[in-house]
Amino acid sequence: MQVGPSAFMALAAVLFSLGLYGAVARKSAVMVLMSLELMAVAVSLNMVALSRFVTPTEMTGQVFTIFTMVVSAAEIGLGLALVLAIYRQTRSIELTRMDTLKG
Amino acid sequence: MLSGYWIFAPEVLIVAGAFIALFGDLLPGRDRTAAYVGAAVAALAAVLAAAGGTAGPMVFGQVEPDEIARFARTGIAALTALWALWVAGRGMPDERRRDAVALAMFAAGGGMLLTMAEDLIVMYIALELSTMPAYVLMGYRRRDVPGLEGALKYFLLAMLTSIIMLYGMSFLYGISGSTSFAELALEGSGMLGVLGVMLTLVGLFAKMSAAPFHYWAPDAYAGAPAVSVAFVSTVPKIAGIAVMARLLHAVAGDVGGLVTIMAVVAAASMLLGNLAALPQSDLRRLMAYSGVAHTGYLFMALAPDTSAGYGAAVFYTVAYAVPSMAIMLVAAEEGSDLTDLGKLASRRPLAAWSMVVWLVSLIGIPPLAGFFGKLYLFGSALSAGLVWLVVLGVLTSVVSAGYYFRVVREMFFGDEPAGIAALEPAPTASLALAIAAIATVAIGVGASPLLAALGVALG
Repeated sequence: MQVGPSAFMALAAVLFSLGLYGAVARKSAVMVLMSLELMAVAVSLNMVALSRFVTPTEMTGQVFTIFTMVVSAAEIGLGLALVLAIYRQTRSIELTRMDTLKG
Repeated sequence: MLSGYWIFAPEVLIVAGAFIALFGDLLPGRDRTAAYVGAAVAALAAVLAAAGGTAGPMVFGQVEPDEIARFARTGIAALTALWALWVAGRGMPDERRRDAVALAMFAAGGGMLLTMAEDLIVMYIALELSTMPAYVLMGYRRRDVPGLEGALKYFLLAMLTSIIMLYGMSFLYGISGSTSFAELALEGSGMLGVLGVMLTLVGLFAKMSAAPFHYWAPDAYAGAPAVSVAFVSTVPKIAGIAVMARLLHAVAGDVGGLVTIMAVVAAASMLLGNLAALPQSDLRRLMAYSGVAHTGYLFMALAPDTSAGYGAAVFYTVAYAVPSMAIMLVAAEEGSDLTDLGKLASRRPLAAWSMVVWLVSLIGIPPLAGFFGKLYLFGSALSAGLVWLVVLGVLTSVVSAGYYFRVVREMFFGDEPAGIAALEPAPTASLALAIAAIATVAIGVGASPLLAALGVALG
């Protein structure tokens, strides 16, 4: 059986949905960050697969993915720094307890 | 061959200036000098961006420094200079100035690149470059728990929406086989094309705090220092509108129904922003909702996919950003609660009257910048036949007068807040505010030549 682009896109969609669920439902900030990483991986998979099937001779999708991986690594670093700064002050990383701001 | 690249001198300059400010320790005068250097470099970049002219697609068609980009780049650099000048005078609360100025300049560099983006990869990188420093600015006080919480919420939502946007971009690329805006071919792609465009737009909607993706803004702004809000709520918006104009222009022909989507989002933003702003007593929260409302006005002009509409929208972002930033800077001086502004007119008459100018410009009363901006926004929507949207825009503008005048009333007839320490004079900060007040009038008076350059016809 030949594996077509739709198989990869379906897998990416499943991973993306799992990540989205985690990002919305999880209470711990670190778990939310991990769910966001899962979503980012799903996007990378989508791009690399589409690059392989749509433009096999050019590497546009792969190059795009390298850029996005670098950016999301930087973002996660920044996010963890924020979480750490909050943990130092409050000893908690539960998002539900962060209710100083209400509106 | 290489001479054409002089057009990118402002971006190079502003990033170089950011590094100088970052290592401002080594300069004589240290922290304050770093902020001054940042302001001077950003001002020079604004002049170069204005004088640099325009060009066709460059760097393999990945960027196009056209007239819209020129106007937006000038606006971004000039506002960054204004902000850095204020920071040089008053400083950041409890922390150092130089990191804040460096971060703002990195964000400005990203924003200026974003206005020229003609490629999905460039757009994504520039968008991230312009928003990532904003997270740090929002949580700038490292011991302030509400500020950090607001910053974390802002960060998580911004990252979520930028991944959703990236997912949409992967579909756009998969359908067209290219990341260039000019080569996006979505005709006949059916649902997948619509999905790709929608997901991409969701990311941009959230970045522009358009309803229904606005809910991060009031919380994040209310926790952050007012001086950070002054930058984050204004400068990235200019870049965002410019790149939205480009992207919408690229896809509007292939994907039907975009007009309706943009019009509905515009209507929701105008209604929700203006009505939610009415009962607010915190100036940061009030301006957050006012920002949502103004995004609605801007989307009104973006909806019909006309070059006049795009020009009017980019003009209005600058006309909105100047007074909005200045109001937040005054809030950073006086305090963010509305009652902190009580009797400002007797304490600081000049600042109070400048506030009146900015607020009146935001409502849209002639001859200020906001009036001409709104006139052309409404005009471009009207010529596209979106009459109901224009009526809604005018009505909500009237509603907005309600909360803007509440601020004015507090300044002139409110009670003096108890136990305030006299503000120590800071000539450079006052200079920055004076420039903002003059600019609000000048943009209004000089509206027709500016708009003519942007391709917006009179009438």
